[in-house]
Amino acid sequence: MANSNLPRRIIKETQRLLSEPAPGISASPSEDNMRYFNVMILGPTQSPYEGGVFKLELFLPEEYPMAAPKVRFLTKIYHPNIDKLGRICLDILKDKWSPALQIRTVLLSIQALLSAPNPDDPLSENIAKHWKTNEAEAVETAKEWTRLYASGA
Amino acid sequence: MDSSDDDFYSGEAMDDDYDCYNSDNADDNDDYEFIEEDPEDDIDNSTSRRQQQSYTVLREEDIHQHQEDDITRVSTVLSISRVDASILLRYFNWCVSKVHDAWFADEDGVRKSVGLLEKPIVQFPNAKELTCGICFDSYPHDEVLSAACGHPFCSACWRGFISTTINDGPGCLTLRCPDPSCEAAVGQDMINNLASGEDKAKYSRYLLRSYVEDNRKTKWCPAPGCENAVDFAAGSGNFDVSCFCSYSFCWNCTEEAHRPVDCGTVEKWILKNCAESENMNWILANSKPCPKCKRPIEKNQGCMHMTCSPPCKFEFCWLCLGAWSDHGERTGGFYACNRYESAKQQGDYDEAERRREMAKNSLEKYTHYYERWASNQTDNVNDQVSVSPHAMLCGSDRIISRQKALADLHQMQTVHLEKLSDIQCTPESQLKFIIEALLQIVECRRVLKWTYAYGYYLPEHEHAKRQFFEYLQGEAESGLERLHQCAEKELQQFLTDDSPSKEFNDFRTKLAGLTSVTKNYFENLVRALENGLADVDSHAAACSKTTSSKFAGGASKGKGGRGKGSSRTGGAHDTGR
Repeated sequence: MANSNLPRRIIKETQRLLSEPAPGISASPSEDNMRYFNVMILGPTQSPYEGGVFKLELFLPEEYPMAAPKVRFLTKIYHPNIDKLGRICLDILKDKWSPALQIRTVLLSIQALLSAPNPDDPLSENIAKHWKTNEAEAVETAKEWTRLYASGA
Repeated sequence: MDSSDDDFYSGEAMDDDYDCYNSDNADDNDDYEFIEEDPEDDIDNSTSRRQQQSYTVLREEDIHQHQEDDITRVSTVLSISRVDASILLRYFNWCVSKVHDAWFADEDGVRKSVGLLEKPIVQFPNAKELTCGICFDSYPHDEVLSAACGHPFCSACWRGFISTTINDGPGCLTLRCPDPSCEAAVGQDMINNLASGEDKAKYSRYLLRSYVEDNRKTKWCPAPGCENAVDFAAGSGNFDVSCFCSYSFCWNCTEEAHRPVDCGTVEKWILKNCAESENMNWILANSKPCPKCKRPIEKNQGCMHMTCSPPCKFEFCWLCLGAWSDHGERTGGFYACNRYESAKQQGDYDEAERRREMAKNSLEKYTHYYERWASNQTDNVNDQVSVSPHAMLCGSDRIISRQKALADLHQMQTVHLEKLSDIQCTPESQLKFIIEALLQIVECRRVLKWTYAYGYYLPEHEHAKRQFFEYLQGEAESGLERLHQCAEKELQQFLTDDSPSKEFNDFRTKLAGLTSVTKNYFENLVRALENGLADVDSHAAACSKTTSSKFAGGASKGKGGRGKGSSRTGGAHDTGR
């Protein structure tokens, strides 16, 4: 039902995501709702998340592409811009959204966020504080969480 | 009661006043007529002329005009399109000189930050078909639109994009190309081409609002329903402005106009009214018991002269709950009730009992000032002043809210003026002295109201100042009552005449004289209060009541020749002929 009026743009994006996936990213639509995507992002190399496989969910609202997609981490992650519910603090998902952005660009931005945490614009106060006061220790915790929750096992 | 009122108000002292005024004017009505015929003397002008003209009231069409003029200036000087000029002005908060300065200092920098491109970033001169960056479909070259940058989007996507941003709010005024890496501005020309009629109207509305709200020298008139704005030229130190809608407000704090009280005191007072509102609601929402029979009485008209219903029929003053028979010359005029101390002392009857029940002295003092302040307030729900025949009859003994005064003014402008012109065979242009008088009453009610907040914050220990203040306030009350009496009651007779009345010229002279005298008195009052009653400091602190009238004379004479009339108001209480 929900798929009957799927805009051409979403179909095109989906086809391209499946045929030429971005490195370290996979996104596939749910069978019963083509607006709902199961996403996996590999932890970028040389980041505390290296070796981890992070699951996310992505939903394209009715207004898409005029409104931003809704994205959330399902895998627990220790990151100053991601809270314990998996919500992500990223400008292009909020006021900097543009209809010329795509699912692919959003996921690439999230991947980049894993490489470069930004504790100055935190979503999770405690983790950001930890990051700023003792970065080495915070990175260790992030690695530990990656092992514990994102090992893909 | 009414006849004695007449004596009181039309007594010798008052005649003196206008004689004195008259002699200044060659004892001839021609002077008035000359003034009245001043071609620019419409009501709007005279209201704003009251203050030094440091501001301009802008109607919606004026705002549009100013905005268009500014856009034209920038567009001409910088040789850019009007659309670009509008974008630039908005970016620099509609300050033309800032636009010029920034542009001539660093045109490239300004262009970059504002998003005004000189040439496209991308070009597809040979492409037959272009792919829309939003829906990813391909379109013939001529069906694709772009901002100055050249990024191609189909018109359906442009429409969706523009509609979404307009409905997101005023952020649509800083619309940029949808391409995330592109900063090119999208101007009103594209909006007008692509938006729906409703969205275009919204956009224009936001643009107009921006001109007022983002502009540092304009503010909206805060009166409910009023769509005028006020453009203020800084530097005069006096922030009181008067809108065409008759609402006066302080341009600095946008509260109601509050001279002689400063913005800080007003904020304190309003905060206090909120903080005390629980108590005040209890005190004011509950009825007052009749001082004699103790039956609860709810006041639903503006008159302070209360008469308990039969069989009691006790007449008393709503403010002090004293017997009405005690009010009059003996207590220093009908408005001696403004004196907190004497109200306390005179509080015999059941008032003493009532006050004893009240918890604290401080609350009592606050209540005193609050009630009087609120009586002059425009929208006081506890004191709904009705225009009932009863209220008209005892016009002389009431505190009339500013709201009522405004209603009178409106009634005069819309109905009575024409009628009066017919009856008295006088052109309406020569009846402006009546409007002047009513406007003056409105203004005086406002000042009077704030003197109560002033009185509340006047330090207890400054006895001489308090005494002097209360004297000046009492004089102001009675002076204003005389004017109101004349403007309302004496006018009635000329409205019901069958043929032109000989006395109408006398009435004109008297009312114009009273208006002028009252105006001067209130202006001097405002100055004296703003001055912190400095005259009291310079004299011996231990002055008695007899010397305080000299202060009044001194305070008004000190302002030069114009104070002449008001220095005579001190004599207003010499009643009888």
